[in-house]
Amino acid sequence: MTRRRDLLAALVALAATPALARAAAPGVFSDLDRNAVTRLGSAWRAAHPDATAQSLEARLFPAGRGQAALPRLRDQAAADFRHGAVFIHRGWRLSDTEGALMALLSLEG
Amino acid sequence: MAIIDARTLPDASPIEADLLIIGGGMAGIALAKELAGGALKVAILESGGLEIDEANQALYVGSGVQRAPGNPDRPFDEYLVQSRIRALGGSGMVWGGKCAPLDPADFAERPWIAHSGWPITREAMQPYYDRACDLLEIPRFPLEHPPSTDPARQHLALEPADGFFPAPREFSRFSGGTDKAAFDAFRTGFAEAPNITVYLHANVVKIRRQGDEIVGLDVACLDGKRHPAKAARYVLAVGGVENVRLLLASDNLGNGRDLVGRFFQGHVTYSNDGDAETEGSAVAIFRAAPMDLYAPAKRGAHCVIGAGLPAQKRMKTGNFTATLFRAQGFKPDTQAIARMGAKLETPEGNGEGQMLGYFAMAEHFPNPDSRVTLDPEHKDALGMPRARLTWTYGTKDYADLERSVTGLADALGASGEGRLCWSIERGQLLALSSASRHHMGTTRMHVDPAKGVVDADLRLHEAKNLYVAGSSVFPTSGIANPTLTILALVMRLADHLKAETAR
Repeated sequence: MTRRRDLLAALVALAATPALARAAAPGVFSDLDRNAVTRLGSAWRAAHPDATAQSLEARLFPAGRGQAALPRLRDQAAADFRHGAVFIHRGWRLSDTEGALMALLSLEG
Repeated sequence: MAIIDARTLPDASPIEADLLIIGGGMAGIALAKELAGGALKVAILESGGLEIDEANQALYVGSGVQRAPGNPDRPFDEYLVQSRIRALGGSGMVWGGKCAPLDPADFAERPWIAHSGWPITREAMQPYYDRACDLLEIPRFPLEHPPSTDPARQHLALEPADGFFPAPREFSRFSGGTDKAAFDAFRTGFAEAPNITVYLHANVVKIRRQGDEIVGLDVACLDGKRHPAKAARYVLAVGGVENVRLLLASDNLGNGRDLVGRFFQGHVTYSNDGDAETEGSAVAIFRAAPMDLYAPAKRGAHCVIGAGLPAQKRMKTGNFTATLFRAQGFKPDTQAIARMGAKLETPEGNGEGQMLGYFAMAEHFPNPDSRVTLDPEHKDALGMPRARLTWTYGTKDYADLERSVTGLADALGASGEGRLCWSIERGQLLALSSASRHHMGTTRMHVDPAKGVVDADLRLHEAKNLYVAGSSVFPTSGIANPTLTILALVMRLADHLKAETAR
């Protein structure tokens, strides 16, 4: 069941969100289960072996991790679903942005 | 007027009426109710008795198999005898009472779906659906449902352009399994009308035709008695498989174009529990608002997520629904994670998580190779050949199911309402599917005799005084439980018969 928890951790991370919108990015993700983040991030990175923390940071937080970052991430996730940029993990259909975020968080440890 | 056990009549007693209804199930009873107190002398010929009886039930025994590309054949011999009830009230004796109309898309001709399109529109069916709802004492289903003002029953905020919508379901108490006393009154009270007679244990084993006219019926009792029956008009209403069996056993009646029994369509649900490699069928919902509209705490009115015509047109798929339910069995750590998510989702940070299970349903497309035939090697106690069901899917069925699931997952994701898990491999779908007891399409309705067994008035193309009632006339099956549509079509047929006999 810990695998289901991985997914839930990802779902939590980017779902929409008055609360997220008010929070700063690093803080809101600090509650995520570390093991779940690691497993999800590793799965995404397995399909993107060239991804680095630096490249993911540039992709996900081009304007820094302030309050504007989270609404932007959410918009990216929504756009991913519109364009078929998805990350399938154990049956869950997630946005590629969610996968990339988990990868970044897993690299940051 | 009376309920008569046909076994108590002297052998060869003639049964005569203006209208003979073959079958005392929900369709036959509803038709008799509509005609009760009128000018027509009506008789119902019901195979069973007042209660479920093993010997009568055994008349349903047949054989079957389910087939789908890329899946091993699934033996289905027990399905026929377990599907229907042979007693006054028919399968209403055991049905769950769930009611829903077919969607407008179900009636539409959809160019990407072969053999789609009814000769009636959903709009034209509305008054008949209303009357069927009134008969079952459930709320009506207007074409446009205003959103509920109850904060616990709010629609998911999916993008309208995606084409998914909340499709309502209601429950009638007129079910032997729900309110036996009410159902007993429902299935017997109408026989008190002076123009109605119900014959029990009266099995029609042959429909006799001369040219394009039905001239009589052969009625048989399990105790060996035989009775002739004759009327000006006849309605065949013994179910989607038995309608076929009786027509084919009646010298291939109605089958001049080799259509009787073809296009069998059934409803199945798909869900799984997951395994070491995958999660089971589940939905994570992010909003804090209750999901009572979709997953009520108790059995009752609810909505499923349906794929409307815009979604079907966009994805080039058929009808599809996801029925959400409150699931147990998520382990404590999973629940904790879901709760953590809800805290992040709510401004106050005190929400609860919403993990739900779901089962998926997809329209079974009309397929001439999906069919009911006779098994001449095996006969029932009355000498009739038993039925053989070959329930067949084509490649499009499963491909469309998967595309529909993906479409819903993307709609949930794009709207920010949630995420969806689907982990059933295509080669597992047949084995994992759970079949409903809905038998549709086998005497399909079409204005063209080359494409249908009955016309838009439900009259057999080959016989001017025989009508067919029941889900066997559905050209396409949609996903909704068929009873309400069966009854709505019966209302329409009753009006037709009244008008025709008044002329």
